[in-house]
Amino acid sequence: MSSIVRSFVAVAITAAALYGLQHTTPGYGEITSPIAVAGKLGKRVAANAFTIGVANVHLARTVTTKRVGRTQTFTSSGVWVLVEGAAEARSESLTLMSAQWLGPNGVRYALSQRLSSVPGILPSERLEPGLPRPVLMAFEIPEGQVSGGTLLIARTAWSSLEEEVRIEMTDVRPDDIKPALVLARSEGAVPWTLRSE
Amino acid sequence: MMVAAVPTRGERLRYWFSLAALAIVLPAAILVNSWDNLSEWRSRNRHIPLAVERGATQRYAGAQWQLTSLTRLPEGPTGTIPIVAEFETVVDDPELLGKGPCVVVLTDDRGRRWQPTFLPARAVRQARPEAVDKPRCGAFPNAEKGRTIKMAATFTVPGSATGLALSVTMAGARPEYLVFR
Repeated sequence: MSSIVRSFVAVAITAAALYGLQHTTPGYGEITSPIAVAGKLGKRVAANAFTIGVANVHLARTVTTKRVGRTQTFTSSGVWVLVEGAAEARSESLTLMSAQWLGPNGVRYALSQRLSSVPGILPSERLEPGLPRPVLMAFEIPEGQVSGGTLLIARTAWSSLEEEVRIEMTDVRPDDIKPALVLARSEGAVPWTLRSE
Repeated sequence: MMVAAVPTRGERLRYWFSLAALAIVLPAAILVNSWDNLSEWRSRNRHIPLAVERGATQRYAGAQWQLTSLTRLPEGPTGTIPIVAEFETVVDDPELLGKGPCVVVLTDDRGRRWQPTFLPARAVRQARPEAVDKPRCGAFPNAEKGRTIKMAATFTVPGSATGLALSVTMAGARPEYLVFR
């Protein structure tokens, strides 16, 4: 083989290798993306820093909150999703500031700010090691995003390389949407009660 | 017709020496460039505990520290146990003490760490009202030499927590920190 052909082959191989590297190198966002910890509805999921389990998922058109001397009804152009569960810190006190509903089309919905002051809502609960606490999450999402959704829970929404628990919301269907849910404060171990109307 | 010059023995030696030197020079260059970051990371992760027995005082961050009581209150209805830690410090060097905020953590023999509660539980307010009125360990901007500062922190732990110890860290005195056993 002449030296010209050899040089040409070497350049072609190098170009192909560089092209491959360029197109397969992960971006900064992918390198520092959250570390996923998969879980299932109804099962306790253990990440390194915390454990969480989702027990019930309620769907409703409206949510009425009842507090001392004050009743408020929250309507929505979408669907209210109220998630009940329990969470616990594993080695040190922490607060889980981020919960998101990942719809089947990839859109993420953050916790609703309209129900941010109800008792037991996840970002307001300080979790302690050895002390499981009941937690509540409330989302407002379009009806089309209910089926095939995934619940994402992490310490913060923005930190790099943080653990993110991903719980597939299997068997959660729009057929189960109730007209109204009433969320009231409770003095028991679970600081709220939920009933449909 | 051009004829390629045959490299001399000296040129060959220089070539291989340069190639071998790369194996040393490249890691050295990376190390030199990241030395500051490595030093910072190492100092951030260095912890030197100063163990203090119950009732004893310990000089730390420009003051004499003492744990006056670590009280375990009766178990609450949800299986939680409130813990009240009361401690004090006699200021020796106000400037050194004022260098950084104070971080207080309760630990157990399994290495679990509890931060102080935001608001003392009702049981704490009833059992130790004088502790509720004491300030938390925070910053000491107005510390005066010779003054005694009394502080308290409350925690919520499970019944399974044993071997509790109070750890106090002043940012200005790191990597050292106090552990009251």
